Amino acid sequence: MIFLEQLRGELRKLFARPRTYMGYGAFLALELLVLTFYKLDKGKRAARQVLEQNGLDFGTFYSSLSISFMMILLSMFTLGSIFFALVGGDIVAKENEDGNLRLVFARPITRLRLLLVKYTAVTIYTLTFVLFVSVTGYLMAAAAVGFNGGLFVIEPKMKIFSAFPAWSEGATRLGMGAVGIGISMITLSSIAFMFSCMRIKPSSAAIITLTILFVDMILQNFPFLKPYEEYFVTYRMSAWLFMLEKHIDWAKIFESYVLLGGLNVTLFTIGWLAFQTRDFKT
Amino acid sequence: MLEVSGLWKQFGGKPALEDVSFTVKKGEIYGLLGHNGAGKSTTLGIILGMVEPQQGSVMVGGFDVGRERAQALRKVGAIFESPAFYEYLSGWENLRILTSYSGGFNKDDAREVVERVGLTKRIDSKVRTYSHGMRQRLALAQALLPEPEVLLLDEPTDGLDPEGIHWFREFILGLRRDRGMTVLFNSHLLGEVEIMCDRVAILREGRRIYEGNVRELAGDVPVFNVVLDPWDKACEIIHAHGGEIMEPGKVSLPVGLDPAAIVDALVASHVRIRAFTPVRKSLEDFYMEIRRNGSADPPATD
Repeated sequence: MIFLEQLRGELRKLFARPRTYMGYGAFLALELLVLTFYKLDKGKRAARQVLEQNGLDFGTFYSSLSISFMMILLSMFTLGSIFFALVGGDIVAKENEDGNLRLVFARPITRLRLLLVKYTAVTIYTLTFVLFVSVTGYLMAAAAVGFNGGLFVIEPKMKIFSAFPAWSEGATRLGMGAVGIGISMITLSSIAFMFSCMRIKPSSAAIITLTILFVDMILQNFPFLKPYEEYFVTYRMSAWLFMLEKHIDWAKIFESYVLLGGLNVTLFTIGWLAFQTRDFKT
Repeated sequence: MLEVSGLWKQFGGKPALEDVSFTVKKGEIYGLLGHNGAGKSTTLGIILGMVEPQQGSVMVGGFDVGRERAQALRKVGAIFESPAFYEYLSGWENLRILTSYSGGFNKDDAREVVERVGLTKRIDSKVRTYSHGMRQRLALAQALLPEPEVLLLDEPTDGLDPEGIHWFREFILGLRRDRGMTVLFNSHLLGEVEIMCDRVAILREGRRIYEGNVRELAGDVPVFNVVLDPWDKACEIIHAHGGEIMEPGKVSLPVGLDPAAIVDALVASHVRIRAFTPVRKSLEDFYMEIRRNGSADPPATD
C-alpha cells in the first residue's frame, strides 16, 4: 500500500508537468500531419500505387487501421524516442539538479526503493503514452476515412509485409503491436533512467541515450553487420513488428522481449549502483 | 538523541570534515556555527545519510544512520535553506508526496500541521506562487510530518524578513517547550544561534574548534567598561590586582577575581567610580576571536 501511495505521488509529478501536455500536443500534431499527408491527393495516389502494386484493393486497405499503423510507426520513431529519452533522463537527474532530492533524502526511504518507485512510474508513463498515441491516432484516422477497412503493413527493414482484410483481425493485430511498441519503448526509457541516476545533467542523460540508440541503429544497417543484427538493441526493440506478420512467430517475439527485459534489469541495476554510491550534498 | 562521532570526509582529496564529534541531548537546541564551507552542511548530509563518511558514525535515537538509516530517520524532520519543492504542484500535494516517503499520509495530521504553520488559506495554491516565507512555512510543515522528535535545520532563516525570522524562531522554541523537540541548528547567523541555542559547536575548515554552552560563554568574561577618576591612580590599583587596561575606559580582570574587591580597593584609595559595568561578550565577539586565534579553550560546561 505504501509503495502504491509513493507511486501515486511519482505519477502525479510526471503527469502534472506542463511538458507532458506539450508532449501530448506534439504527438497529436504529428499524427495530424501524417493524416493530412494521407488525405491529400498526392498521398492518396502514393498509397493507391503501393497497394495496387502489391495486388491489394485500395478500398479495403486505405483505412483507419493502415493509416494508424503509419502514425504510430512515425511518431514513435521520431518524437517518441526524443520524448521518452527526455522523461527518463529527467526522472532522477532533474530532481537532483532542482534540489528536490534533498527533501526526499530527509525521509526514511532507501535509495533502492526510491528508484523502484521512479522506475515503475516511468514504465507506466511510457506505456500509457504509447497507448494514448495509438488510440488517438486511430480515432483521428477513423474520423477522416471511416472506421471500416483492413490493415496493411509494410516495413522493409524488418521484412514485414502483411494484409488483414477483416477489421477485427487488423484491429487486434494493431492493438497487440501498440502494446509491443510500448514495451519496447521501456528499454529506451531504461537507458535514459540509468544515465539519470549518474552524476550527470538531465539533458546529457537524454542526449547520450539518443546517441547510443542512433549509433546502434546505424550500425545495424551496415551491410557487413547485417548477420549480427540480432545483437543490436534497436533490432530487438522492433520485435513488436513481428506481431503484425501473417503468421506470428511467438518464439522470436518472446526471445526479443526476454532479452529486452534482461537488459532493462541490468540498466536499472547499474543505475542503482551508481546512485547508491553517490554523495548528495545538501 | 543525536550522537555524531569522529566524522571524517574528503571531497576530491580535499578534507571537508576532520574528526568532528558532538552530542545533542533530548530536548536540546544545539547550534552548529561556521563560515561557508566550514563543513556544516556536510555534517548534516552525513546525519541524513546523503553523504557517506570515510570514518565515523552518526546515531539518531539509538540507530546507526550508516546501517539502519530508515529506522534512524523515522523520527527526523529536516529543513534546508531555500527548500526546493515541486513548483508545479500545490503545497498540499507536496506534503502528500513527501510524507509518503515516510510511510503514509494522514490528512487530519497534515491539516493540523498546516494550520499550525499558518498556511491553511494557501495550501491548495501552486508552490510557484509562494513567497520565500511561505515556502519556509511549508518546509516546516513537511518536516513536522509525521511527528518528528529531532529537527535538523540548515540555515532555515536565511532570506526571511525580520518578522519571518521572529515567527520561525518562536515556533521552534515553542516546539522545544511544548514537545521537548531536539533541534540541530546549522547557521552562520550568530545572533539567531545565541538566542535559540543551548550549546554550540564552531566548525572551521572541517574541524570543530569549539564546543560550549552559549550562556556560560557570554557571561563568563570579566571585561568592564569603567569611568574612574583619577585615571592614573585607578590604573595602578587595577594593575596591582592583576587586571589589564585593554583601552582607556575598558579593563579586564583575572578570571576568579571578584570585581567587588577591585571596587573596594578603588574606593579605599579615594578613586571616584562613575561607572563600572561588565561587558557582556557577544557570541559574535567570541566567534571572531576564536576564528582569529584558530581555537579556544571551552569554558566549563555541564
